[in-house]
Amino acid sequence: MSKKFEEIEHTADLAIKAYGQGMRELFANAAYGMFALMAEPSLEEPACQREVSLEATDYEGLLVDWLNELIYLHEVEGETYSQFIIETLSPAKLKAHVTGGPTKSKTKAIKAATFHELKVVKTGSGYEATIVFDV
Amino acid sequence: MVNKQDFKKVEEYVYEIPKSYRPDMRVPARLYADEELLEAALGDRSLKQLVNTATLPGVVKYTLAMPDIHQGYGPPIGGVIPSRTSTGVISPGAVGYDINCGVRLLRSNILAEKVKPIMDDIVNALFRGVPSGVGRSGDIRLSNRQMNDVLEKGSAWAVSQGYGTKDDLEHTEERGAMAGADSRKVSGKAKKRGSSQLGTLGSGNHFVEVAEVEEVYDQEVADAFGLFEGQMVVWVHSGSRGLGHQVCTDYVRDLQQAVHKYGIELPDRELVCAPFDSPEGRDYFAAMACAANYAWANRQCLAHRARLVLDDVLAGLVKDRELTLVYDLTHNIAKVEEHPIDGKPTELVIHRKGATRAFGPGMPGLPADYREVGQPVLIPGDMGTASYVLVGTAEAMKKTFGTSCHGAGRVMSRRAAKKKIRGQELQQELEEKGIVVRGGSMAGLAEEAPAAYKDVDRVVNVVHSLGIARKVARVVPLGVIKG
Repeated sequence: MSKKFEEIEHTADLAIKAYGQGMRELFANAAYGMFALMAEPSLEEPACQREVSLEATDYEGLLVDWLNELIYLHEVEGETYSQFIIETLSPAKLKAHVTGGPTKSKTKAIKAATFHELKVVKTGSGYEATIVFDV
Repeated sequence: MVNKQDFKKVEEYVYEIPKSYRPDMRVPARLYADEELLEAALGDRSLKQLVNTATLPGVVKYTLAMPDIHQGYGPPIGGVIPSRTSTGVISPGAVGYDINCGVRLLRSNILAEKVKPIMDDIVNALFRGVPSGVGRSGDIRLSNRQMNDVLEKGSAWAVSQGYGTKDDLEHTEERGAMAGADSRKVSGKAKKRGSSQLGTLGSGNHFVEVAEVEEVYDQEVADAFGLFEGQMVVWVHSGSRGLGHQVCTDYVRDLQQAVHKYGIELPDRELVCAPFDSPEGRDYFAAMACAANYAWANRQCLAHRARLVLDDVLAGLVKDRELTLVYDLTHNIAKVEEHPIDGKPTELVIHRKGATRAFGPGMPGLPADYREVGQPVLIPGDMGTASYVLVGTAEAMKKTFGTSCHGAGRVMSRRAAKKKIRGQELQQELEEKGIVVRGGSMAGLAEEAPAAYKDVDRVVNVVHSLGIARKVARVVPLGVIKG
């Protein structure tokens, strides 16, 4: 299986590079990476499901919105997500179905995804994006 | 990449990247540092971020960074961006996500010697009594109406609920409430994130610390601040929690449109901004003021908890257990201030991101009892070394728009710190030095290790030597709770 994401150096905060063969996979893997660093869901409890629907003007803006929406849901609903199905994705619109469980343990408070030096880049094998998080 | 030779030395401790360095710069960019701190800043992307700040519309004289500079997102941490209110911009990214992250210092009439033998008990009691840790809720629940009151009244709301005294308000920057706060400009999402977090410390670099005034450098000013050698004091460092982060997130997103509308070109989207004098700019300022007020109310509630805990744990040991607020100030904020530009008093919006206001004697807005000496400038260092109390000066008004540094500044990434340092060993090492530390997680503790920070003595020496803030006292940690 190809790499979903990796953590990269940042002096004060946290940054990841997410990968995807297509844009949808990139969005799913960015969310997966963020939660992998942040918290663990309880698998014993019934799964929680959420629908996410967002609008923006470009992929970068949509990616930041997507991650910030998940941070918001994680914080106010006390849930941690591990599966991300991106149903619709265009530069203007995202619809997704996410699955997870009640948060079991938190390892890191990620409080926001930023636009800092954010670029979604096309590579030989798909797409990659570097995202800096405020912690 | 910015190189050392791109800087010109203006005077001792002042380095400048000229406007000609990049065509999009509108003013030069300055770094206040010694040579070693300058070299350290070359190690990450902070200087590129500093140059980026000089491209914002309406910036005047120069943008600058303090010796505790390090990489942020948008501007560097330690950055100061002065912009005209008439023709300039306000930028949520230049204030940061933790709006009004700040620090307060409480003094006592207790000798540190007296409490050192029971520091374990004190720290355990604080750890139990002050809600801390990742995403932790507190015991204050706010209705919608109460939330709007907190957002518009700040510390005064907390005092009205019995969490502190009127004297606390006198000794808080802006008296704990920014003017212009309008709770209608804060989203429902932000309010929801904040509804159960008031009176909680949070995680990361936030802390409550019991400390000792180790050395007084300026007796006259120390007397004015009520500080003496051997005294037990308490630090509280926290911010606006999830609410502030959501306000920043909301406006960084919304203002992406404003940039197009007003034809502003940016080198980094995180520097997104709007003209200060525009509907978008005014809306952000009103929402930012709300988040700042939430943070002041939060530190007021945290200090109240710390007071209760210490009163309880020290009962029977000392009679006078009162903790009096020396000062509370903000590290992340945009404020409207008047500064001379080309000899004329000019209204500016000063963004301070990881920087402290350092107003000198006679400046408006200082508490009556500090007006003659200048405001306290509180510089929390890392948990194993020291913190400083300084005093603002007239020199700061000339050189740095009335600003000083805010801490030691990180030098090692959190990831590297976690790899290099084990939380458990660090805790032991600190205990051998007589510092008791409790944290939510060992990994979190490792990220905040002293080795991850610059040398605070060195950082403070730069601001002291430049005269932008003068050393009053050095304070050493005895017991720390980390979020």
